[in-house]
Amino acid sequence: MELFANLAHGFAVAFSPINLLMCLIGALVGTLVGVLPGIGTIATVAMLLPITFGLPPVGALIMLAGIYYGAQYGGSTTSILVNIPGEATSVVTAIDGHAMAKQGRAGPALAIAAIGSFFAGCVATVLIAVLGAPLTKLALAFGPAEYFSLMVLGLIFAVVLAKGSVLKAIAMIVFGLLLSMVGSDIETGASRMAFNIPELADGLGFATVAMGVFGFAEIIRNLDAGAEMNRDLVQQKITGLMPTRKDLIDSAPAIVRGTILGSILGILPGGGAVIASFAAYTLEKKIAKNPSRFGRGAIEGVAAPESANNAAAQTSFIPLLTLGIPPNAVMALMVGAMTIHGIVPGPQVMQKQPDLVWGMIASMWIGNLMLIIINLPLVGIWVRLLRVPYRLMFPSIVIFCAIGIYSVNNAPVDVILAGVFGLVGYWLIKHDFEPAPLLLGMVLGPLMEENLRRALLISRGDWSVFLTRPLSAVLLAIAAFLLVLTLLPMLRAKRDEVFTESEN
Amino acid sequence: MADTMGHSATATRNTSVALGFCLLALAPQIFELIWSIGTIFGWGAGRGPATVLISHTTALVAGAPAALLGAIGGETKKASSDVLLALIYSYPLFAVAIVTLFMTIKSGQDYIGGVILMALALFALWASSDLQGMRGFSFGAGTAPRMFGGLLVALSAAIALTGLLSEGPALAHYSWRGPLFVMCAILFFALAIRPLGLVVSAFVSFMIAALGSHETRWVEAAIVGACLTAGCALLFPYVLGLPMPMFPRFLVQ
Repeated sequence: MELFANLAHGFAVAFSPINLLMCLIGALVGTLVGVLPGIGTIATVAMLLPITFGLPPVGALIMLAGIYYGAQYGGSTTSILVNIPGEATSVVTAIDGHAMAKQGRAGPALAIAAIGSFFAGCVATVLIAVLGAPLTKLALAFGPAEYFSLMVLGLIFAVVLAKGSVLKAIAMIVFGLLLSMVGSDIETGASRMAFNIPELADGLGFATVAMGVFGFAEIIRNLDAGAEMNRDLVQQKITGLMPTRKDLIDSAPAIVRGTILGSILGILPGGGAVIASFAAYTLEKKIAKNPSRFGRGAIEGVAAPESANNAAAQTSFIPLLTLGIPPNAVMALMVGAMTIHGIVPGPQVMQKQPDLVWGMIASMWIGNLMLIIINLPLVGIWVRLLRVPYRLMFPSIVIFCAIGIYSVNNAPVDVILAGVFGLVGYWLIKHDFEPAPLLLGMVLGPLMEENLRRALLISRGDWSVFLTRPLSAVLLAIAAFLLVLTLLPMLRAKRDEVFTESEN
Repeated sequence: MADTMGHSATATRNTSVALGFCLLALAPQIFELIWSIGTIFGWGAGRGPATVLISHTTALVAGAPAALLGAIGGETKKASSDVLLALIYSYPLFAVAIVTLFMTIKSGQDYIGGVILMALALFALWASSDLQGMRGFSFGAGTAPRMFGGLLVALSAAIALTGLLSEGPALAHYSWRGPLFVMCAILFFALAIRPLGLVVSAFVSFMIAALGSHETRWVEAAIVGACLTAGCALLFPYVLGLPMPMFPRFLVQ
């Protein structure tokens, strides 16, 4: 049983004092970020990247991973108690969670969210361990054409799963691909779109763009809405954390469904925790016997999305560790963290760095255990944090972000670039463009271009290579099928709209 | 009555949108002109403002039309980068601006967003126009940027078109206070961190950023700003070991 040997090795690594400490710090920071609205996981991980310079690679990645799944726990606390999502992944949790809190059942809601997250975390940890090795073997059969097709599939997934207009999502991906081409060309070394600015010769830093589009833009947007957001904090003391027997029976199937759905959406490139929580909520509402309960404090509406987002947050490590393809923006930052330490993510990592991979996987389970303690008995502390007014929080976040970006390369230009991308992000928000596909495009851009060029070079310029190689053809067929599937109902909806308008 | 009023309102709106697009069409030229003013004082390298002004004006007024006619006539002459900018970037946007005057915009959000995105794509096409294209069956440095740039032009045109054809939300309200002061804070931090050090730049940036909200209370903000600065001054250089200048250069020396 190679699996158990690997996991045992992982636990041995994860239980070393330094790694336990890193795991705890990650979980704490993650919870903090999750609880505080107005600062997201992407901005935080980008901000903390330079900090990991001084740490051993295993510890650094354990900490960054902890932030990601820790934020999924923390986000639910704010959603339930304040009715504003602390994290984009807990938007749907707020609907039923806050309704429960208003009925004086905040305790059980928090407990179910934490239990669901913990269950999902455990399942996802096992899943990563089980799927890791076989997927790595599959990855070795991949040539450039297959990699390119897989990335196309990932981008199409991002389009399909993005909310809002399909056209806009595709445009954002292409915009991201274009941004990724700024800087030196990989093969010829020619400077592309850099306007003789030396700082651009190396390309736009992914952390810089992420911080601008997700950090600064978010702050500006929040200021727009009026710094004093409507915080109807549930004031009464939270009594009785324990859910009743009925709560447990009601939520158990929802937790299982949420976990399964979240795990699948996490593995798929282009998926991730945000989409998983939305999908899980929709699923629960669809299969419920009495859908009208949703929105009025149905416990399934808390259990399913919270399990799903945590499962997805963890399973999204699978494509990164096995194929070397980051499925979402946070994973792209993890690639950045790995490269800082000289690790190239991909199929080799599993063999060459068993400490890193299995240590990280094991730490996830430990981290989940820590999180349930951090979040349930200590919930009062986190609630107190929410009383910090936004007018004091936002300048602090601005300064932290600025220092964080500056310290990545000690380059003031990076800070200015992040500011420019903050304005770009603000513009994107105002025109209802989604920034997440943009970042995904930017991350996959260099990989895609490289594999496209290599595939065409090998086939001597014959584009049909993507269709004649079976694996690649299958991947592209799935992508095309998905795209058609999304476009069909949209066209039909448009037609229905036209009809209803003409009837009026 | 109400009908005519509504009509005139959209007409003025369209004119201002079209004017905005014209400004967008000239944005890179104007930016270079402003940038070139610095060369008078010896900052940065590049062309002086007079050269920039003359070269862009001739490119826009004479060079580009000539190149266009030449291309139709089958002449292949290497055009200068200013002429290419006018041809690839400015002229299409002028065309869009003129078209805008005669259209009813059904969704300002989509239409304006699409056109600005198109401007970015056209700009990228111009920026990659000097790069090498395909060499036989192997990609040159410029192939992929041009491919995706062209794709983005098409996609953004489609988005702008949906803004003309189907109803949607109007242009959202942009506020100026938040973006302005947050950007000022970031800019100040970037310019001050090297000469003035972390302590001064972090505190001043904090206060500038605090201007971005009208709810800021000054005493409270100053106290929090001071605490935060102290915290950062301990956290980054000492706890995390990231080298960073702490105090103004002239004080240290």
